[in-house]
Formats: sequence, structure tokens, C-alpha cells
Amino acid sequence: MGTNNRSYKAEKVIERMGEKLNRQMVTSLAGCVHCGMCIETCHYVLANPGDPTYAPVYKADQIRKIFKRHYDWTGRVFPWWVKSKSIHTDEELEELKDTIFGKCTNCRRCSINCPMGVDYATFNRMARGLLVSVGVMPEGVAVVSKDQWEIGNQMGVLKEEYLDTLDWMQEELQSEFEDPSIKIPVDKQNCDVVYSINPREVKYDPRTIADAAKIFHFAGENWTMPSEGWDMTNFGLFSGDDELGGAVARRLYEKTAELGGKKLVISECGHGYRSTRCEGPNWGAYDVPFEMESSVITMLRYIKEGRIKVDKSKNTTPVTFHDSCNNARSCGLFEEPRELLELVCTDFREMYPNRAENYCCTGGGGAMSMSEYTNRRLKSAKIKADQLKETGASIVVTSCHNCVDGLTDVIRHYKLGMQVTQLVNLVSNALVIEEKVLVPVEEIPEVAELEFTGRKILVADDEPDFVTFISAILEDNGAEVIKAYDGKQALELARLEKPDLITLDISMPGKSGVEVFDDIKKDKELRSIPICIITGKPELRKLIYEHPDSHPQGYIDKPITEEGLILNLRKIFEVGHHDKVKVN
Amino acid sequence: MSDLLHFSEHTLQEFALVFMAIVYTMRIRWLFKFKGGRERQAPTGLPDTTKRKGIMYSWAAIAMPWTMESTRKKAFFYAQFVIFHLGVVAAILLSFLIPYVPSVLKSSAVVLIFQISIGAAFIVGCGRIIRRITSKYVRAISSPDDYFSLILLTVWFGFAFFAVPNNYQQGETVLLTYFILTAFFLMYVPFSKISHYLYYPFSRYWFGKSMGYRGVYPLRRSTKQRGVEYGN
Repeated sequence: MGTNNRSYKAEKVIERMGEKLNRQMVTSLAGCVHCGMCIETCHYVLANPGDPTYAPVYKADQIRKIFKRHYDWTGRVFPWWVKSKSIHTDEELEELKDTIFGKCTNCRRCSINCPMGVDYATFNRMARGLLVSVGVMPEGVAVVSKDQWEIGNQMGVLKEEYLDTLDWMQEELQSEFEDPSIKIPVDKQNCDVVYSINPREVKYDPRTIADAAKIFHFAGENWTMPSEGWDMTNFGLFSGDDELGGAVARRLYEKTAELGGKKLVISECGHGYRSTRCEGPNWGAYDVPFEMESSVITMLRYIKEGRIKVDKSKNTTPVTFHDSCNNARSCGLFEEPRELLELVCTDFREMYPNRAENYCCTGGGGAMSMSEYTNRRLKSAKIKADQLKETGASIVVTSCHNCVDGLTDVIRHYKLGMQVTQLVNLVSNALVIEEKVLVPVEEIPEVAELEFTGRKILVADDEPDFVTFISAILEDNGAEVIKAYDGKQALELARLEKPDLITLDISMPGKSGVEVFDDIKKDKELRSIPICIITGKPELRKLIYEHPDSHPQGYIDKPITEEGLILNLRKIFEVGHHDKVKVN
Repeated sequence: MSDLLHFSEHTLQEFALVFMAIVYTMRIRWLFKFKGGRERQAPTGLPDTTKRKGIMYSWAAIAMPWTMESTRKKAFFYAQFVIFHLGVVAAILLSFLIPYVPSVLKSSAVVLIFQISIGAAFIVGCGRIIRRITSKYVRAISSPDDYFSLILLTVWFGFAFFAVPNNYQQGETVLLTYFILTAFFLMYVPFSKISHYLYYPFSRYWFGKSMGYRGVYPLRRSTKQRGVEYGN
């Protein structure tokens, strides 16, 4: 314990708060009049009527009371009069963690609705950073931050995996257009465009890379992708860790500068765009010597300049647009996506409220990585679900990978039957390519079906609904599925059936997925079977990845999509096939 | 006029004003001891958005209730805000008119205008006290200062209402109480939430500057009114 019987961590949080405060934050902390105008602007409040602990002003007061007690004279002299209060114990820090990580997505909706200009999201992020600096944070935040510090991207994608995926997508494009000149250039010097992406695209959605490459190719762009420093996402925004934010942003800037790129184009990701385009130069104290642009603006520019032609009649399904909070409320990116949608879709339906007033997807602020708050998140998502349903659209488009995951979860939870997609997919689909024969999109699932025909896959998960869901997808794609509902059964069936692949949940009653993984890797007959971890608790993945001997061949976070599952498993089979060929 | 009332109207008020000015100066100095923010990145958003526009919009937002959802959807609450703050302006103005330009209050029309403004603010103040006590949300966020400041202002409005005619010949109690309360109010303000008006220009300046630079301010939205409405 430190001063006044205060714990070491509490002491550090108070001390570091003084270093973090700036004038804007101080006016936000000192200027609140407790008028309550912000209360009903927050989706957490609307979904939890009667619970004042979700009110933005209440949450802000949990930070404000510490500020007042230590940095504001009225709070120092008359603490009880202005409700200022210090923190002393680690338990109090845990309570603060629950509020600032678990009850707010830093969406900034309350900030734009505050008559006083109190920017709660900004000092909530500051408070997150203070807790992170003393190691108090949700486990998922720790895991993802560690990956971004150590591996260079927040999903732990290795360089080989990234480059393999680019190769794979290049091959797909060449095969689709029967044109070997279509390339995904890597580390090409002095290009007009350096394209940076979200690691989620490599992991779960590589078609977005292919779609972007297709657009760059047909626009005649002189472009490249960097072999390193390619991750434009930045967990520093969510964790409040400016040091991480600066380091990640600098990696990207320095690589782009090293390649002599004239413009850094940032793929569709709300927090990635905000971090790279707006916050990174400030966190990293780096004056960026090149231009930066969202890929949404790039695509719109190509159409306006006549570099690509699009036919909106190729996208006739009714679509609506969800504004990413980071794009709309922190970067002013809300008109361009709509303009683009009007050009590539025949039936665009506005969502209300929209633009800077839109509601959060509920997965923002890193919420998707904090599995301990999943129930709370999904309950608060009722507001978004109602908003989506009201549009009557079948597809919700968003320019943010985080929102894709968040909305997919909302849609599944509230059984809305909608699909989520991004602008790059719609633009790619609407491209008019002269004298080229496009392979019909409908044929892609047939390719996937062929991939799994004759494959025997063991699905191990303790949630029966999930096993049924995965099994249906795999069986629809030609696989023979064996189902196990606990670790012991999974091991027995693996020994009995010798499957071609195992999908394994980590958290199972009795024998856990980690133990099953260990046993399989120790078994001479089973150790060659590829394993794909599918878990809803990303923080547990370190149990597997810190395994001294071997790592799983694949990893998917829940919730999963049909497409994501197929792509990942197909990739595991392909890599396995390549490895066998190499060995032979 | 008694010496006590004369002292309260002049010396006491002047002392309170000087005290408030000193504390405010210290407060602003304290604020500027904190580091300023700097945005290194190029501006974002549509070309017609700028820092300057953002600042102007931010300052003016409070007078444009249609721009913020929170004020747009709560027209009645917004009206209360306007009435309450007009009452504050009227009651402060009164504390200068009575000692320095009492002739203005000889006009019954002026008296009526002041009494309507201050009386309406008194009613709103009572409503706000009730809200602060009865609303679960507002009660959860309220500090003793929040209650005291609101009660102080409401009581002050009450005495100001009766002080408007400036009839000290018919008794000085109301005027005396009004001026003592005014002096107390002036000295208490820098230590209470009432000092929010000191922060307002700064907080909205910095927020507007950032939002303008990033293309968020002036806010835009589709004007078509339909869809899910919450918080009404």
C-alpha cells in the first residue's frame, strides 16, 4: 500500500491522471452541470430503463470524482459537497473498469448531445489508459494489446499467413479473370497508393482484399501492399494506451514512407481510419509526409474520374447504411459512403437517426474483445436492432470491420435475417469490366462444396445449438460431420473416426479444449490432424498459442459467419495440401 | 433608505463582484496550466467544414435547439432552460439597475417585464427542484452542491421578483434579502456548479474546434423524420 493506505495501482492511476489531463478534458470534467440531457442519448440507457448507472453523466462522474478530489480545489476542500472521492483499493479500480470498459463503447453520441460540450468519450478513453497502465483491464483487451505490441497486428496474424493470403487472393483473381497480369503487388517502391488493411480481412474475410485488388487493378492504379506495417487498426484507441497507439501508427507511417508511397489508403474500418488518419500522428508525434485517405473516398474518386465504371443494376437488393461512430462522429466521414451507395445500388434506404446521430453497432470501443460483457452488449443492442429492422432493408452496409462483427451479432441475436457487407464488396460486384467474362458469383459456393466433399470433420463444442449450426454449414458443403459435446467425447471420437479436421471449442465442461488439444498433439496417430479453435473467449487463446510445442492450424472468434467458417477451413485444407506437396 | 440597505446595494455588491473576478481569474489561470491539445493531422470531412466554422457552430448550438437531438426531442425542457437563464440575466441586471439606474424601474412596463421573466424563472426553478428530487436518474447524479445551487437560485428569484418595484419606502426586508443573497450568490458561484458559464466558452470552443477540423461540425442529418424514435 502507498500513501494514505492507498494501493500501489491506485496511487499510480491518480499520479498519471495529472500527466494525461489537457485543457479540453479539464473543461469537460469541471464543466458538467448534471442537467441530464445526455441520459437518453445513450443506447445502454435506452435498453436498460430505470438503471441510472448506465447514464453517461453517471459513468463520467466515476472518473470526475477522482479528478475533483485530486485536481480541482472545490473537491479537495469540500469533497462531500461536490461528491468528489478518491480511490484507494484495487477493488475500486475493478469497479471503475466495469464502468469504463463494460458500460460504454466510447461512441461519442452523448458528447455531441451535451449542451456544455462535455466530451465524455475522450476522458473515458483517458481513464481506460490509466487502468491499462496498471494492468487493470478486461482479459481480451490484454490479449489483443499484447498481439499488437508483439506481432504487429491485433489478431496475431503472422507475416507468412498474411503473404500467403495475398498470394491466394491473387491466384483467385487471376483464375477468375483468366488474366495472369492481375497482381497484388507487395513492397513495390514509389507507388501512388499504399493499401493498408485490417487483420480481420486476412483472418476471416479475404474476399475484401480480393475485391479491393480488383478495383485497384481495373482502375489502373499504381499500388502496393506493404509486407510489414500493414495493419491500419489500432487497439490503442480502445485501450486508451497512447504509447501503443503511437507505436502502431508509426509502424504504418514509417513503412509507407520507406516504400516512397504517395498516398496511404486505409481500407474500410472505423477505428482503423480514425486511428491512422486522425489520432495516430498525435499519439506518435509524427508529421506524416504523405496523404492519407479512406478507401471509400478512393473508390468514389475512381468512379467520378471515370477510372472505373459501375452498373448499379448488379446490386438490386435493398440496402441500408450504418455509420461507424469513429467515422461519423470523429472523422466526418458520412456523406461519401452514401454518395457511393447511390452509385452502386438501386435501392438504398436511409437509416434513422443517421450520420453523426446514428447509434453505435454496440460492438465499438473494443467491446467485441471483452467477452465478459457480451450479455450486456447484446441487451443494449436492442436499440440498433430496432433501427435496422425499421429500414426494411435486407443488407446493412457499413464501412467498418468492427461494425461488421457487431452488427452480425446483433442480427443473429435478434433474428433479423439481414446480411452485413461493405462498400468494397458492392463496388466490386457492380464493376463493369469490358471484354472480360466474369465467373458468376453464384458459382462460388459450388467451389466451396467441392472443397469439403469427402472430408470428415469433427465438431467439438458444448453448446448444442452451435454444433448444429456449424454442422449444417459443413454438411451443406459436402463434409461428413461428427459431433462431440464435451472434451472427453471429442477425444474418443477423434481416436475412433480419425477425422480430416477438428473444430475445437476451448471452454468446455470436464476436459477442456486445451487438454483435448494437448492430448491430440501428444498422440502419434492424431497429431497430424489439423485443428481449428473456435471460441467466444478470445482471452483464452493464449492457452493454446503459448503452447510450447505446437499451435493450432486455425483460429476463429465467435460469433462466426458461414462465409468466415468456410474460408478458414478451406484455407486450412489448402495449406495442409501445400505442406504435403512440399514434403513429397 | 437605511445605511444597511445602501451598504448592501453598493459596497457589498462591489466587494462580491471583485471577489468573484479574482477567483475567476485564478480559475482561468488554473485551467491554462494544463497542456493544450494539438492536432497534427490534415483536416478531414467535407471541404466546407473548418475549425472556425466548428467553433462558431459549437458556441451557437445552445441557441439552435434543432441541431442537437437532446434539445430537439425535449422542447419543453429546452424552453425551461431558456426561461431559467433569461430569469438569471434579469435578476442580475436588476442588481445593477436598482443601485445605479433606479429611474428605469419607474416604468410599470419595465417592472412587468422583469417580474414576468423572474417569476417564470422562479416557477421553472421549482419544477427543476422537483425533477432533481423525483427523477431516479437525476437524483443519482446530484451532489449537495447541485441541490443547494438550484434552491439558492430559486429563492433568489423569489426575492428578486418582489424587489423589482424597488419600493424601499414600503419596507426594506425584501430588497435587503435580495441584495444579501445576490452578494452571497456572487461569492459562492466560483466554487459551485453555477460557474459552468465560465467553462462554457472554453469547453465549447475546444470541442467545436476539434469537431470542425474533423468535419463533424456543423452536424448534418437526413431531415426526413421517420424511423425509430427513442427518449421522447
